[in-house]
Amino acid sequence: MSEDALIGLFVATVQFGTLVYLAALGELIAERAGVLNLGVEGMMAMGAVSGFMVGLETGSPWAAFFAAAAVGALVGGFHALVSVVLGAGQVVSGLALTIGGLGLAAYVGRNVVGERPEALFTDLGIAGLADIPWIGEIFFDQPPVVYVAVVMGLSVWFVLARTRLGLAIRAAGESAPTTDTAGHSVMALRSGAVMVGGAFAGAAGSFLSLYMAPGWVEGMVAGRGWIAVALVIFGAWRPGRLALGALLFGFTLALQPRLQSFDIELLGVQVNRISPALLGILPFVLTVVVLVIISWRYRHRPSVAPAALGLPYRREER
Amino acid sequence: MRRPALVRRDRVVPATQALGFFVGIVVALLLGAVLLIVSDHSPAEVYERMFDSAFRGTDSLSRTLGRATPLALAGLSVAVAGSMGLWNIGAEGQMMAGAIVATGVAMMADGLSGPLLIALMMVAGVAGGMVLMVGPALARSHLGVSEIITTLMLVYVAIRVVEWLETGPWKDPESFGFAVIEPVPEQAALPGLFGRANIGMLIALGLLIVFSVAVSRTAWGYELRLAGSSPDTARYAGVSLRRKILAALLLSGGIAGLAGAVQLTGSATRLESGLSNGYGFAGIIVAALALMRPSGVAVVAFVFGAVQVGGQSIQTLGVSSAISDILQAMILFGALVAVVFFSYRVRWSAPSVGLPAGVREEPDPSAEAA
Repeated sequence: MSEDALIGLFVATVQFGTLVYLAALGELIAERAGVLNLGVEGMMAMGAVSGFMVGLETGSPWAAFFAAAAVGALVGGFHALVSVVLGAGQVVSGLALTIGGLGLAAYVGRNVVGERPEALFTDLGIAGLADIPWIGEIFFDQPPVVYVAVVMGLSVWFVLARTRLGLAIRAAGESAPTTDTAGHSVMALRSGAVMVGGAFAGAAGSFLSLYMAPGWVEGMVAGRGWIAVALVIFGAWRPGRLALGALLFGFTLALQPRLQSFDIELLGVQVNRISPALLGILPFVLTVVVLVIISWRYRHRPSVAPAALGLPYRREER
Repeated sequence: MRRPALVRRDRVVPATQALGFFVGIVVALLLGAVLLIVSDHSPAEVYERMFDSAFRGTDSLSRTLGRATPLALAGLSVAVAGSMGLWNIGAEGQMMAGAIVATGVAMMADGLSGPLLIALMMVAGVAGGMVLMVGPALARSHLGVSEIITTLMLVYVAIRVVEWLETGPWKDPESFGFAVIEPVPEQAALPGLFGRANIGMLIALGLLIVFSVAVSRTAWGYELRLAGSSPDTARYAGVSLRRKILAALLLSGGIAGLAGAVQLTGSATRLESGLSNGYGFAGIIVAALALMRPSGVAVVAFVFGAVQVGGQSIQTLGVSSAISDILQAMILFGALVAVVFFSYRVRWSAPSVGLPAGVREEPDPSAEAA
């Protein structure tokens, strides 16, 4: 394996990691407030298509990025309305959001399939740092969204762990009646968290269509939204551990298309002779294996999941 | 400022879910009409075409029933797990796994007579679906790993395995270089009933009846529902939760696998990566709308079959078939919202600031001391 290929692998690891990190960070916010949102895949698809289309219109990747975030928030707001405000089942509502979101994205984007992108993010190449061998290329010559994700990760950690708002959000996820009694509106906290989470997913989707795989085709999210949902469990609902998990999953996502070109032997099998379709199962099998391993390791400890996750709250019924 | 709050109604609206389903359809059609108008199509023309292609004439009706069959089986699969409060999100993948194993059996035993081969393929389908479910079921029952994520992840695994089989080991040598798997033997095609409908429909209907009785009328079904709604009570009554979880999930996987085998022998000619065609995912919506009751699954599956057939037919009008996915999700959202308003009413009330009425404010002792 050449040095360039190895650097390329790590560069892609950071990018795929960013993709799933942004989406998972949004899901983390919603889940810390007590709302499970299985609509990440649909919100990402809507973000991807709307980001790409706004990019076509405006030519500005940033306008596209923020438009995608706004669309994500709007789609997430639908889940908030149905499952938080009206208190319907979160699993069903989230799944319908995924199916409906994928369908709507396919419908909205039917005329721009295969169009050449007008707006693309370009690598920053931070002066001085980007020239460092290895490190420079991997960490300091990336598209701006990578650094946005780092800043967002720190911000989410700060808000959740160090501010009164964060305390209220976490309280809503642990015990809604207590939060209500303390004078906070559970409905507002949870709806807000779901919409902000949707914005993150939408933004992540646009990173896909504005940089990683420029353009729009149906099914381009390809399960990454679901990996983000699994990642939140892996990250034990903490932004820091989530980042580690994102890099691990980013690595497998980056590895899979590259394994073909690696002339190495693993367990007596020539890796580059394995079918690409078979290598494609890697991230998904890894997700299952990782979830099983962490559940087995922590089987005797109390769960770290937010206690009220998935439970609707109606004040009149407490 | 007065604030709205949801208050449970004193009088229950009868047949809540059925009515909610109906409202959901109306809401979906209205929202769909808005979408169509925005994109310069005539809703009347589109909906008329959809209705005609789904219901007018035996051929149309048989097409709708043909689509309703895999939807009903996938819906039943989700409903069996759902009656215990478990979510099988991976029916799509288990369908594939069932079709894979059924294809394998057909390749090995293509000399058998039709009925025998079909029966064998159905059993193989059930086995295939169960095999894909073993991991998630054990992880859920013994370690408490969320079955939602694990079942879903395996969907992608199953589809990729089919793609691998297409390009490699099972590639049809007579396909002139196309990456396709050889067709299933002719005698394995399910016998037709009328139009495009085949006996797959009867298999689905039979299973729906069996599970309808099993879930709501037998001790086994009672324990299943009890274990889902109140795990502590069930454990106290001597029900093994682990075994119930395993049983519910494996059955769920098996039924989805059967759906794959029925699809393979009924309407597909060969195993391909598009075989499950979203039926497994739509099955989740079907089961949710049916409140996890097998009897309801039949009705919802029929309506969804019609929506899908209609969605295909409007492509000739230049309308994207994605409309049918949107309609299906909207039916569910509409029904969810409608059911909430059937059970709750909105009460506008003043915000509860300060002390409840009737409690007098105590004088502040510190103020007195000063």
